[in-house]
Amino acid sequence: MPQRDHPPLSPAIFHILLSLGVGERHGYAIKREIAARTGGTLKLGPGVLYGSINKMLELELIEEAEDRPDPHLDDERRRYYRITNYGRKVAQAEGARMHGLAQLAAATFGGPKLA
Amino acid sequence: MRDTPLSLRLYRWLLRLYPAGFRENFAGPLEREFRDELAESSGPWALAALWIRLLADLTISFPSQVALEVSQDFRHTLRLWARHPWHTGFAMAALAIGIGANTGVFSVVNALLLRSLPFHEPDRLASFSPQEFIPPHDRAKQFHEWRAQSTYLADAALVEENDVNLGGARDAARVHIAQTSWNFFSTLGTQPVVGRAFLPDDDTAGRSDIAIVGYGLWQQFFAGHRSVLGSTIRVDGKPLTIVGVAPPGFDFPGNSVLWRPAEFSSGNNGWQTIARLTPGLEWAQARAAFDAEVDRLSPNSGTRDAANSRPRMRPLRDSLSGPAKSASLMLMAGVGLVLLIACINVANLLMARTADRVAELSLRSALGASRARLGQQLLTECLLLSFVAAVAGLVVANWTVSLAVKAQPPPLSVQEYSILDVRVLAFAAAASALSGLLFGSLPSWYAGRSYASSTRRSRLIREAFVAAQVMLTIVLFTASASVGRAFVHLMEIDRGYDVKGVVTVSVSLDGTTHQSDKRQLAYFEDVLARVRSLPGIRSASATEFLPLYATGFVGGPFGLDGQRAKRNSTMVPVLSGYFQTMGGRILHGREFTEAEVRAGAPVAVVNERFAAGFGAPAEAVGHQLTAGRRPPRKIVGVVKGMEYETDPTLADSNQVFVPSEAPGGFFSTFVARVDGRAEDHLATIRDTIRSVDPQVPIFGVKTMEQRLADFFARPKFYRTAVWMFSRFALLLAVIGIYGIVSYAVVQRTREMGVRMALGTTPSQLRGMLLWQGLLPVAAGAVPGVACAMLSGRILENLIDGAKPVDPATCIASALFLALVASASIWTATRRVAGLNFVAILRAE
Repeated sequence: MPQRDHPPLSPAIFHILLSLGVGERHGYAIKREIAARTGGTLKLGPGVLYGSINKMLELELIEEAEDRPDPHLDDERRRYYRITNYGRKVAQAEGARMHGLAQLAAATFGGPKLA
Repeated sequence: MRDTPLSLRLYRWLLRLYPAGFRENFAGPLEREFRDELAESSGPWALAALWIRLLADLTISFPSQVALEVSQDFRHTLRLWARHPWHTGFAMAALAIGIGANTGVFSVVNALLLRSLPFHEPDRLASFSPQEFIPPHDRAKQFHEWRAQSTYLADAALVEENDVNLGGARDAARVHIAQTSWNFFSTLGTQPVVGRAFLPDDDTAGRSDIAIVGYGLWQQFFAGHRSVLGSTIRVDGKPLTIVGVAPPGFDFPGNSVLWRPAEFSSGNNGWQTIARLTPGLEWAQARAAFDAEVDRLSPNSGTRDAANSRPRMRPLRDSLSGPAKSASLMLMAGVGLVLLIACINVANLLMARTADRVAELSLRSALGASRARLGQQLLTECLLLSFVAAVAGLVVANWTVSLAVKAQPPPLSVQEYSILDVRVLAFAAAASALSGLLFGSLPSWYAGRSYASSTRRSRLIREAFVAAQVMLTIVLFTASASVGRAFVHLMEIDRGYDVKGVVTVSVSLDGTTHQSDKRQLAYFEDVLARVRSLPGIRSASATEFLPLYATGFVGGPFGLDGQRAKRNSTMVPVLSGYFQTMGGRILHGREFTEAEVRAGAPVAVVNERFAAGFGAPAEAVGHQLTAGRRPPRKIVGVVKGMEYETDPTLADSNQVFVPSEAPGGFFSTFVARVDGRAEDHLATIRDTIRSVDPQVPIFGVKTMEQRLADFFARPKFYRTAVWMFSRFALLLAVIGIYGIVSYAVVQRTREMGVRMALGTTPSQLRGMLLWQGLLPVAAGAVPGVACAMLSGRILENLIDGAKPVDPATCIASALFLALVASASIWTATRRVAGLNFVAILRAE
């Protein structure tokens, strides 16, 4: 897959990258983590969650890790995902873009100064 | 939970909506998530909320996943196409021709049979042709009383078309107009855009010097200005006051540009009736009432010939489309077959390619692509192929339409054939999608299995395709032979005159200074004297009706010595030298002399058919030609019948030729037989006629051959179209057979090497391949001959004059196809001759 400049990422994709930035996760864990991080305002439906994962696999932002049993749920096998180096770079770029926007918003409308 | 199985089943079913790739990767996690959420949702409200969330989620994620996989398949397809440009180009061309020809013919069917007519509730409008039935019409009052008392018609109007000289004395143009009963526009439910329609009693004598002009005429002559109302326009020299302008695009009947109130007279039997059914009445009921009325008004009332079939009340749309209806449907069936053959051919090609792609498909399958995913990929390839072909097909469609316009112009300008119509474009899209599914489904289905099974099954399927193609090609070939022979018969028929080397020029003296009966003949003699003195002119004459000129015939119940002929006769007024000029054959006696024409002598020439009705044709000469109370005429000659009637059912009619007394009254045509090419004399003769009096409108400057070609443009178009279909089908069949055999040669190289090592010669091998290649041809030929016989019956009913299809023609088509197939197979196996079995076996 060609690695190229990305347009702004969708909130779902950025949140998934954030979750996987910490470590490998399976789909359900990603979803719970996003819900917890956003105080329940962003609840990904299964279609959007796995649709985004499918697209991220296609774009090589993430890749599949080996299947393994979920320690919380008996012995059910779950598919785990991890962020790629390229995915990390894209997430950094997206973070920088948002940071720049936040600075501009602060300068324009006032508010907390950002580093 | 009680409803778990149901919810889960429903969710599993919904998951099937996702494209195959996504489904096979994520159906498991999705289902697991669903089960988790379901476990957390207790109570009906929570369950309802879960389902609302899930449906919203599906609605959002579905399009993006479809787009993702389609774009993957799309890129893959483009790479494949680039790798096989010849295969792709051939498949695309075959489909483009198939889809394009279908779309083109459909646009004709759409214009003639499907698109709405520009009238109010057009499906309630009926029409009676003047040949079948005319209501009482001697006076306006009589007709209006008839329509007022009708129980099954809400309204009815009479209309008659004719050609007139329009404009002033210097710049008269020949145009088509209609005279109508006053309620013509209201019956159709059309209102003029400027001014008014005709008013009650406008069609009574003394009040009818008014006209409604067409929109185009208004724009052209009056620059679209409202001052047109009250202006005068000259029709055949007579000034008419304009009271209204018809809406844009309204030119019914027959491309009329002007409408004037009818002048009723008892002798006029040229009226067409347009009627609107009483609201709420079914067509069947109205027809029954019409039949009863026809019986009451005596079966012969208003009909031209008692031999005609029973009058029918037809929907106006049917009478407008006329014979084009069945011909268009025949063409539609023909192009449908062509598309089917193209689809089979492309399916065959894809089967071969699928078999070749076993390695690729196996690899993708090993990498985790399911059968459904591979099938989806192949189906996308096919749909994309047919879509691109459909876009290219629009060019073919446009070309087909331009051919159809020449052969079969639409009866009304609003019925213009166009591919830029929602229905036509929808048809093209549907034809393309359907073709894609048709040729793509079997290879896609097979793709999932090909790597597991043998190539033998693939070959069997491909051979079945070839057999089906052969079958359809024989049907088209036989149809082509049938229509072709009908056309050849039409062109080679003995017309009773020699069409080559004849120039024709029409004039009309209406509204000119030569209009009075006494001056007309002088003008004609003057013109003929000048034309005859031109170099290269063998003879010249004039007639009021040229052969094959369908409209405006007069005739009647002529007889011999007071004894009436069994059939009515067509009467053709001519000047002296007419038969000599036209190449007519005087069998007995002579034609008219110039003195007889000038003196208006009571003489006549009859055709052989008329004379034969009373005994030996030679004996008719010298007898009296009688016609009711009209003065008798002496028969001076018997001529071989000339082909006048355009209706094949009236062919070989009785004909009576008389000296023309007032040749310019309606319009007449000068005819001149020339040395050399007739085309070279057209301009000279036209200018010579104009030099006599530039005011006289001249039109129809054509050679007789051109007139004949115009007249037979329609059958020629059908013949050419069916001929092209059958040749295209043959080409595809040959390519299909060639493909399958050359593929077999490659596949069986090793086997052939072994056979050669065992002593089989290359010629014997080629013979074996020829025999095996001909098997599917034979398998298709048997049902093909049966279908051709069956379709021949249908064709006979659809096309006038189509010759019956006999078994000999069908078998000849099959044999011809077998011959071409043999040549194709022999060419495809030429590689065998160069095979070196030592090299092959060593490679093994």
